[in-house]
Amino acid sequence: MSLPLLSLMMLIPLVGAIISFISRTRNQARITAIIASIIPLIITIKMYLQVDPSTMWVVETYDWIPQLGITYKLGVDGISMPLILLANIVVPLTIIFALGETKQTSSFYGLLLLEQVGVIGVFSSLDFFLFYIFWEITLVPMYFLISIWGGPRKDYAAIKFFIYTHIASLVMLLAIFALYFIAWAQTGYPSFDILHLLKEYPSFSPVVKDVIFFALLFGFIVKMPAVPFHTWLPDAHVEAPTAGSVILAALLLKMGGYGLFRVMMPMLPETTNTSLVITVIAIIGVVSIVYGAFLALAQKDLKKMVAYSSVSHMGYVTLGFASLVPLSLTGAMYQQFSHGLITCILFMSCGVIQHSAHTRIIDDLGGLVQKMPKLTFLMLGGFLASLGLPGMSGFIAEFTVLTGAITTLFIYVLITVFGGIAVTAGYHLWAMQRAMFGVFNEKLGHIHDLAGYEMLSMAVLLLLVIFFGVNPDPVWNFMQAGANTLLAGVHII
Amino acid sequence: MVPLNYYLLLSGVLFAIGIYGIISQRNGIRILMCLEILLNSANLNLVAFASYHGNTAGQVFALFSIAIAAAEAAIGFAILIALFRVRDTIDLRNINILRW
Amino acid sequence: MFQDFAYLIVLLPIISFVLTLFFGKKLPANGGILAILTIFAAFVISAGTLAEIYHGGVVEQSWHWFAFLDFGILIDPLAAAMLCMVSFVSFLIQVYSVGYMAHDPAKPRYFAETSLFTAAMLGVALSDNILQFFMFWELVGLCSYLLIGFWYRKPSAAAAAKKAFLVTRVGDVLFLAGIIVLYLNIRDFTVPDGAYLLQFQTMFAAIEHIPPAQLTIITLLFFGGAVGKSGQFPLHVWLPDAMEGPTTVSALIHAATMVTAGVYLVARTFPIFLASPDALIVVAYIGGFTALFAATMGLVMNDIKRVLAYSTVSQLGYMMLALGTGIVVGAEVVGVSLFHLISHAFFKALLFLCAGSVIHGLALQDLRQMGGALGKMKITGITMLIASLALSGIPPTAGFYSKDAIIEAAYSYWAHTGDIIPYAFGIIAALLTSIYIFRLWFMTFTGEPRTDYHAHESPPSMTVPLVILAVLALFFGLAAHGAFSGFLEHTYSEHLIEEAAEIGGHHLATEHAHPPALLFYMPIIVGVLGFVISWLIYNKRVFRMSSIISKRNPIYRLLLNRYYQHQIYTEFVAITIVHRVLALLGEFIDRRIIDGIIDGISWILIMVGEVIRRIQTGVVQHYAAFVVMGVVALMLFLFHGGGIL
Repeated sequence: MSLPLLSLMMLIPLVGAIISFISRTRNQARITAIIASIIPLIITIKMYLQVDPSTMWVVETYDWIPQLGITYKLGVDGISMPLILLANIVVPLTIIFALGETKQTSSFYGLLLLEQVGVIGVFSSLDFFLFYIFWEITLVPMYFLISIWGGPRKDYAAIKFFIYTHIASLVMLLAIFALYFIAWAQTGYPSFDILHLLKEYPSFSPVVKDVIFFALLFGFIVKMPAVPFHTWLPDAHVEAPTAGSVILAALLLKMGGYGLFRVMMPMLPETTNTSLVITVIAIIGVVSIVYGAFLALAQKDLKKMVAYSSVSHMGYVTLGFASLVPLSLTGAMYQQFSHGLITCILFMSCGVIQHSAHTRIIDDLGGLVQKMPKLTFLMLGGFLASLGLPGMSGFIAEFTVLTGAITTLFIYVLITVFGGIAVTAGYHLWAMQRAMFGVFNEKLGHIHDLAGYEMLSMAVLLLLVIFFGVNPDPVWNFMQAGANTLLAGVHII
Repeated sequence: MVPLNYYLLLSGVLFAIGIYGIISQRNGIRILMCLEILLNSANLNLVAFASYHGNTAGQVFALFSIAIAAAEAAIGFAILIALFRVRDTIDLRNINILRW
Repeated sequence: MFQDFAYLIVLLPIISFVLTLFFGKKLPANGGILAILTIFAAFVISAGTLAEIYHGGVVEQSWHWFAFLDFGILIDPLAAAMLCMVSFVSFLIQVYSVGYMAHDPAKPRYFAETSLFTAAMLGVALSDNILQFFMFWELVGLCSYLLIGFWYRKPSAAAAAKKAFLVTRVGDVLFLAGIIVLYLNIRDFTVPDGAYLLQFQTMFAAIEHIPPAQLTIITLLFFGGAVGKSGQFPLHVWLPDAMEGPTTVSALIHAATMVTAGVYLVARTFPIFLASPDALIVVAYIGGFTALFAATMGLVMNDIKRVLAYSTVSQLGYMMLALGTGIVVGAEVVGVSLFHLISHAFFKALLFLCAGSVIHGLALQDLRQMGGALGKMKITGITMLIASLALSGIPPTAGFYSKDAIIEAAYSYWAHTGDIIPYAFGIIAALLTSIYIFRLWFMTFTGEPRTDYHAHESPPSMTVPLVILAVLALFFGLAAHGAFSGFLEHTYSEHLIEEAAEIGGHHLATEHAHPPALLFYMPIIVGVLGFVISWLIYNKRVFRMSSIISKRNPIYRLLLNRYYQHQIYTEFVAITIVHRVLALLGEFIDRRIIDGIIDGISWILIMVGEVIRRIQTGVVQHYAAFVVMGVVALMLFLFHGGGIL
């Protein structure tokens, strides 16, 4: 442990962001952004080969405000490591995809790099105070990405996104403070250490435990987002620029799921009526899956459809969480990873279509395959992955979630299978048929296909989706070790 | 020696006069003057207590307060003059652009 | 020796797929040669492996995948027969494609997709566990989507591709649910060393530990998948629409590959079906009904390929019917069904390729515009006649042996259970089959041309596969009908079958029932009868059909509109219920109610702020007054304590 790798991983994009903000030429900003976002990926891969997934691999601890027990403590294990990998894959590819951006380029790349810093911070913080700071840091660049580069209703969307998710995180903050102060009163010394607080939590009084649990749960599932707290998502996505949507869907949503695994799972058995809580969470998961799928079917706007598909897919994470079965829990983590990759392709496709055809309304498109064969190929790949085709990473995740969960959540799994899967295939293929196949709509005028960098980015993503669909082991083993460790301390039923 | 209560009573009366003036008057200069009365009522209190208890700290604070009041009056009049140049009035009821 | 390379059976076509996809334009014949060579190699390995296990033994190879899942290869007699058939028919179709697709600009894509399709189907055939089976099964569905929508510029092709994928997906959902329920039941079962939970052998060994009611659920869910893939009622609607692809694709889908996957699934998991008390009866009824139902629609179709499509649905019904009779006949029906599957693969591929040749030569697809093509297209005409004879089960063609065996099995079922319905379905469907296929043949090849067209015979790369298939359709049954079922009998051990039958409560018949002479010759009689009827109506024109073929005849209208399936499935279920009612209602709830509440809360807050901000008058004195009031309140509170509050 010679170099503080995790800090470095955040420091480099941070410095890159600053350089990018002050850079004068477009090229300078672009090159800085690419380099600063790729170095963390290299560090991640290096760490990947060293880290032991079953224990917390504490990389660094420094005192920050010792009087209040606030430390700068970072660490990774099997739960967080794959998500950090995901973040460091997605951000560079998003920057490469967005190389064509012309409006205020330096700020644009700077904000994307700041997102990278925030997301890595959330996934690696082991101190609640630090965790919350990074959690909030991710909001701000996204607000600006939506409100500066967004679509026609960008102000409404940006404010709605900010306030909605901010209220959720404030509720979460209150719960964190409650944890902190009560634990302080009990142990006699202050500490924001997540693992420490989770250890103290069981000795709280039942009512307090329930209140803290639900407050944190609210904070996390709004971020996921789960029905009925999902309505900020379609609005934010529709107005956000492509790169913003990609980061939002691929990374920011995953923070909610991560919170469930990291924080909620050890707390779950301590709630007063655990089986009821599990039922509620399972219902939220199933409703998100089925309802999200039907809503996606109803959409006229391609991007909104993809946004609702995110709601639907993140429902599997909730369902896997509620199952409390190692297989299913690992599947839920895998779903986070897999959805992060797949949704990038989908949003990038929407972005390219918007850019080229100047509309995303499905019925106004048509026959785009004739003008955009490369896009159609990659987009079809993404759509098929999204609808859970075997051989792609999404299938692994969904199959394992459902197979594992059948043992504890029989009826919910059946509802998901019968209500969700066929409809999911339906909206994907129907949209594909109307937008891409058939007769070309001449009103669209001149249409050009993908630029080279866009194709590179999407092709790499598609290859990764297929790679992790055929050979899940590299990521799966990590998650499995993480899930087993997590469930080893959880005794319910 | 005059009992302390008399000083306090006088100070209270002055304070009430000052408050009444601030709330009821329209003219900015009058309000400033009422403000001075308020300050001086407080100073009177400080001095009275100081001499009653034989503690000089109160006298020192009164001196501070007088110095600050002078500065405050200077700034206040300067603002009012500037205001008068722009708006041709120092009636504070008309100077309400900082509302909702 | 060959069996050590069994993995190449799947791998070679996949390599062909990847290479053709990326470098297709630079390869000889735009990838056609590569596709043909790889599939031929796959056929050689399959055939070699079959020869090696012919006298006993199976090929088993397995590797760890991830979590508790493995992947592996199982080649037993059933799989070997399937592999040989699939690779051989695919090979012939690829050869034919080189000629048929010669003028299509998208040849590389065509050969890439067909290679992947074949690979997927071979993967289904040699899977050793149900999950891997499912994955290749889905891949088959994907390829069918790509190939049916091959001419994506045609809106009807894009729609048909989507329909095929979605309808089979409904079946796949059931199949997946079946796998999950199966896992639920066997997850605590201790797996012997080297085996794996979802492996077929493990599943069969675990049968006795699963409650029969659960077995019925599992098998019916599996059968749901088979219904989707094999186009059985009520999920058959995608199959006739799938004719939008190139004719070679139709041949591939409807003869060699995709549609047989469902039959293969039931055959593959036959012991589980047998162990369930009711599942096979459902299989028999659905199969028999589909055979009859589809044949009725075949009678009135005018598109040459649609007739063949309904004929496929109908023949698949026969195969299911055969499997269903297994509750009486036992494991022998796997051989019977597979025998019909393979002979059907030959003659149906032949029929489609002949139809393709006709379409290619006449540039027509509507039977009403054809006629008298025999003079110009001798090879096509004669080979198609052979195929038609095989389809209608007239001796000594392959179809005669295979269909006769099925009807005999259905008779055994009748004789032992007293239930005549499956047998009746089979016989009536056989009569209709014979009528519609000769109607097609006479309308195409005899009489006078009904429109002005210029016919020419197709090139040798197309006619040679026709001749090869015709030879097979003629002599395959004669040559193989004994050896075949003897070979396939080794697929499942007798012990396993007896045990499964016992769990399911079935009494297997020890010896064949011998029908009376009339019934014994019944299949031939109805076959010939159908030929004669068609000959009289469509060649000699003895009867005037105009009174029957009229829009005023409700039965004719019903058939011509295909029982209004389009109205029921697409317009009512898909568009009205799923889209209009569920999806748009959900959209309304989401935008108006859920999001309305959110926006409502923010609106209320804004309005409250709107009211409260009036306090901010901007007048200094008001603020001062508030300050004074505040101080007074504070003082009162301080001096009088809780007395006030």
